[in-house]
Amino acid sequence: MAKIKRRGQAGQAKNYLTRTQAVKKLQLSLPDFRKLCIWKGIYPREPRNKKKVSKSATASTTFYYTKDVQYLLHEPLLQKFREQKVLEKKISRALGRGDVTDASRLERSAARPDKTGKPRYTLHHVIRERYPTFADALRDLDDCLSMLFLFANLPSTSAVPAKMIARCERLCLEFEHYLIVSHGLRKSFLSIKGIYYQANIQGEDILWLVPYKFNQRIVGDVDFRIMGTFVEFYMTLLGFVNYRLYTSIGLKYPPKFDQLKDDQGAELGAFALEGVNIATNGAKAAVGGDAEYGPDPMLQAAVDKLVRQLKEEPGVESEVIVDAEEVPSDALDKFEPVAPGGDVLPQPSHSSSDPAELFAGMTFFLSRETPRQPLEFILRAFGCKRIGWDSVLGEGSFTTDESDPAITHQIVDRPVVQAAMSSEGDGEDNQTSQKVDPNQRYPGRVYVQPQWVWDCVNNDELKSPELYAPGAPLPPHLSPFVKTAQGQYDPTLPLEVQETEAETLDADLAEVDEAEGDEVDNDMDVESGNDDSEEEAAAELSEEEEDEEDEEDEEDEEEPATLQRQRELEAEIAGKAVASKTVDAKTKAKLEARKALEKKTREEAEDLERAKGMLSKKKRKLFEQMQYTNNKKSAEDMKLRSKRRKMEKELAKKA
Amino acid sequence: MPILKPLAGNPNGPQQYKQPSRKGKKAWRKNVDVSDIEKGLDQVNEQIIVTGGVIAEKESEDLFMLDVVGDSALPKRFPKIVSKGLRADEIIAQRSAVPAVSMRKRPENKTTDGIIAAKRQRTNYVDQKELRRLKKVADGQHESTVAIIDADYDMWDTPADDPVAVEKFSFLSKVEKAKAPKTMHEQPLTLAANGKSMPAVPKPKGAHSYNPVFADYQDLLLEEGTKAVDAERKRLAAIDAEQAKMEAAARSAAEAEAAEARANLSEWEEDSEWDGFESGGEELSSKAKRPQRKTQVQRNKIKRRKEEERRVKLEAALKKKNAQVERIKQLAEEVALEHQAMEVEKIEMSDDSEDGNDVELRHRQLGKLRLPEKDLELVLPDELQDSLRLLKPEGNLLKDRYRSMLVRGKMEARRHNPFKKQAKTKITEKWTYKDFVLG
Repeated sequence: MAKIKRRGQAGQAKNYLTRTQAVKKLQLSLPDFRKLCIWKGIYPREPRNKKKVSKSATASTTFYYTKDVQYLLHEPLLQKFREQKVLEKKISRALGRGDVTDASRLERSAARPDKTGKPRYTLHHVIRERYPTFADALRDLDDCLSMLFLFANLPSTSAVPAKMIARCERLCLEFEHYLIVSHGLRKSFLSIKGIYYQANIQGEDILWLVPYKFNQRIVGDVDFRIMGTFVEFYMTLLGFVNYRLYTSIGLKYPPKFDQLKDDQGAELGAFALEGVNIATNGAKAAVGGDAEYGPDPMLQAAVDKLVRQLKEEPGVESEVIVDAEEVPSDALDKFEPVAPGGDVLPQPSHSSSDPAELFAGMTFFLSRETPRQPLEFILRAFGCKRIGWDSVLGEGSFTTDESDPAITHQIVDRPVVQAAMSSEGDGEDNQTSQKVDPNQRYPGRVYVQPQWVWDCVNNDELKSPELYAPGAPLPPHLSPFVKTAQGQYDPTLPLEVQETEAETLDADLAEVDEAEGDEVDNDMDVESGNDDSEEEAAAELSEEEEDEEDEEDEEDEEEPATLQRQRELEAEIAGKAVASKTVDAKTKAKLEARKALEKKTREEAEDLERAKGMLSKKKRKLFEQMQYTNNKKSAEDMKLRSKRRKMEKELAKKA
Repeated sequence: MPILKPLAGNPNGPQQYKQPSRKGKKAWRKNVDVSDIEKGLDQVNEQIIVTGGVIAEKESEDLFMLDVVGDSALPKRFPKIVSKGLRADEIIAQRSAVPAVSMRKRPENKTTDGIIAAKRQRTNYVDQKELRRLKKVADGQHESTVAIIDADYDMWDTPADDPVAVEKFSFLSKVEKAKAPKTMHEQPLTLAANGKSMPAVPKPKGAHSYNPVFADYQDLLLEEGTKAVDAERKRLAAIDAEQAKMEAAARSAAEAEAAEARANLSEWEEDSEWDGFESGGEELSSKAKRPQRKTQVQRNKIKRRKEEERRVKLEAALKKKNAQVERIKQLAEEVALEHQAMEVEKIEMSDDSEDGNDVELRHRQLGKLRLPEKDLELVLPDELQDSLRLLKPEGNLLKDRYRSMLVRGKMEARRHNPFKKQAKTKITEKWTYKDFVLG
């Protein structure tokens, strides 16, 4: 007989510790233990059998690996926690004696490391341990940035001290400055929760969420002590990440911070970036450069050139004023269809590799109802140098004067006042009068709604501003983070790209049919009138009236059948054969192609059926079920595509 | 001067020396051991011979003397100090010509010199706010003790901090640093139903756009709508069940009460024989006719009936069994279908998304508390605006972040306890025996 083992001596009982056991082992208080676990990255675990682990009568709920806790015993922070505990005991004893001055003296001297010789601790070594390489740190930056941006936007309370908020804000702004200089921002998305940003830093995609301003409610079921612990850790992390990022592009860290400007709400403008060697504000150095930052003569020459260019720029601007009709920008020409609803022309894409050039050379003015912080950040990150805004939006703008002639684009988000609509056209008169009319437009300036900026950024090209004009119904704002699966309908792509072969052929044939139908209709007046009116009605349909369109769709499908019957009737009356319609070569080829395709699909289906026969019953059923769901999905996509095709056709017809 | 006496007698209690028993020869007087006493008497004799008396009876003065002269060898050894005296004595002996200031408190002067005396500052005063803070600190709720210092070096560029090997101490053995166990690098336990790790910031869907595509938005709206309707239905069902339960309980209670009342009634108010009522039960039973003997015909009939009954029963059982056999197939089919559905789900989960989602969570969670519910992240159709200015942000980011931490298994769910559990106090009136007044 094997040796009988005692319970709780080996296996799970030894591998796991309950939380109480861990706390006792480390001689810490529970909050301190929690803090340490968060900083060191020790997570609760789940044993396979809880009863085998805990010996107590009451059900324990949280378990940790024994080895983790054992390792925590070596943590230098543990000593600090214990010291803090000792201090707390001393203070509480002094208070208990009624010796308040003594208590405060103890507390004060503990807070001054120069008096006690015991330094306050930092989390540097913990960060080094948890993120052995910089890439590791970058990978965990999503959480860090979301948290810090959130705390930077919180109102200060007793739970969230103002100092912490200010610190978060500063770190976040420093990070934004890095993205501006390095042009690392890639995408941004306006969601109902907040604004998502995606940046690419050294090949790593980083996604974070920034709340809208002044919208944070503090709810009860959030533990601020725990959140504060995370924030402390992440603040240290982002500090070091910022240092590394700044030095990698040859900038000095921390950048110069102007408290006065910050108090006046300058935000990004409160920082002045300095090069490591020369004060080159915003000079772009090699991104991701090596550790060598000596005065490189080539770099110096480039910087000098850039500075000269910057100095010359006012001259360029004056030119802009002269012919304000054309916006001189680095934007490439756009190939626009001559008539609306024409073919979607492939646009010359802005070299997608260089987002630094998207808004370069433009001067923006933000009206006071627009969100300044995100707009400023995005515009700067995509190459815009001069952004002005209304003075109510804070300090640091390029100009607060709305009538500044240098402005090329103005971002407006207010409704068009109906009464003043008529005066919109004659901008010449309005320019002479000083008073700014609510609907006043400065000529030569592009007025757009804020979404334009986001859509431009996400599509890597300047969208046509007409679609985003003030008061115009905006096109939907799509999420740039949604991956479309194979064969799924994607509203951003042109129809030709995503259609299946069968669909294209069907559509072409339907067109031909329709053309023939028209011919037939010309013979029969009654029918044609009816058809026309139907088409007109269809043309008037807007996007929102989806249900009606569905019905329309069905009617459309029925149409060829009715036509066919009519043709047969006609033939009967005339006493001729049915196949009287002349088919030109093109149509014939298409018909043949369609037949071939049908045959091919049929063959494929047969093959599949045969292959299915080989499967076991269980697997076959599984396969069928999956096929069913896939078909359902693709049918939906097909429906969406056909809807779009129809709309495009209607638009073309209308033109 | 106190008389010093040597410690006399045995500190132990009186006992009979080596005479544990008084029985036998050992108890005889001649056999008693008196060697101790003899030894003592010898000592006394010796003292008398040597010193002329018993030492214990002598006066202290006869035995000791006070040395008031001092060591005669000292002046020879320290001639300087003895002749001049100690410097300390000299300093102490110094006296000021000015009389000492009296320490007695005196009343303040009644007249003034016109200068208002500066108010004495209590520099070591601790105000109430500070006191409150101190109390908090003593309670363990101190502010951050982490020093937040601007980063001033590249953490990832410097080599890992090894204890600097000094050549001088090369003979010392190297201190082995504790190695992190493998378990430290394990991913935290995610709470997603499919057990996959979740991203810190999930990629937003198109439906969450402030100006969404209609189809996406409709899908989300329908989904959330059905969810809300289901939840409401469940809530109503729970309320109904609760109500039914209460009603049943009330009914049964009422019945029990009624029964009790009846029982009481019968006990007290039943018509008794005393009142002249009689129950006829017993009489009837005694009058019952006894059964006649069964005839053979009757027996046969009964036998036949029983046979028939058995047959019918058997048939019914057989039928039931057959039905069950048929049902087995059906059940197996059902089970197979269920399995299949599960497998399909598994496959869909496995290939659909590489990440877990934070909507479908596993049943077992970490910690005692349930996860906070996710806020509804949906703008209702009547609030849907296509202008950024008019957007009403939905959801709570703070809660969202907190929940994300929990769902990713970084920590267990916790709720802030605003009030500590207090010790129960029982209030009683103070009394002593004196408070009682008799009569």
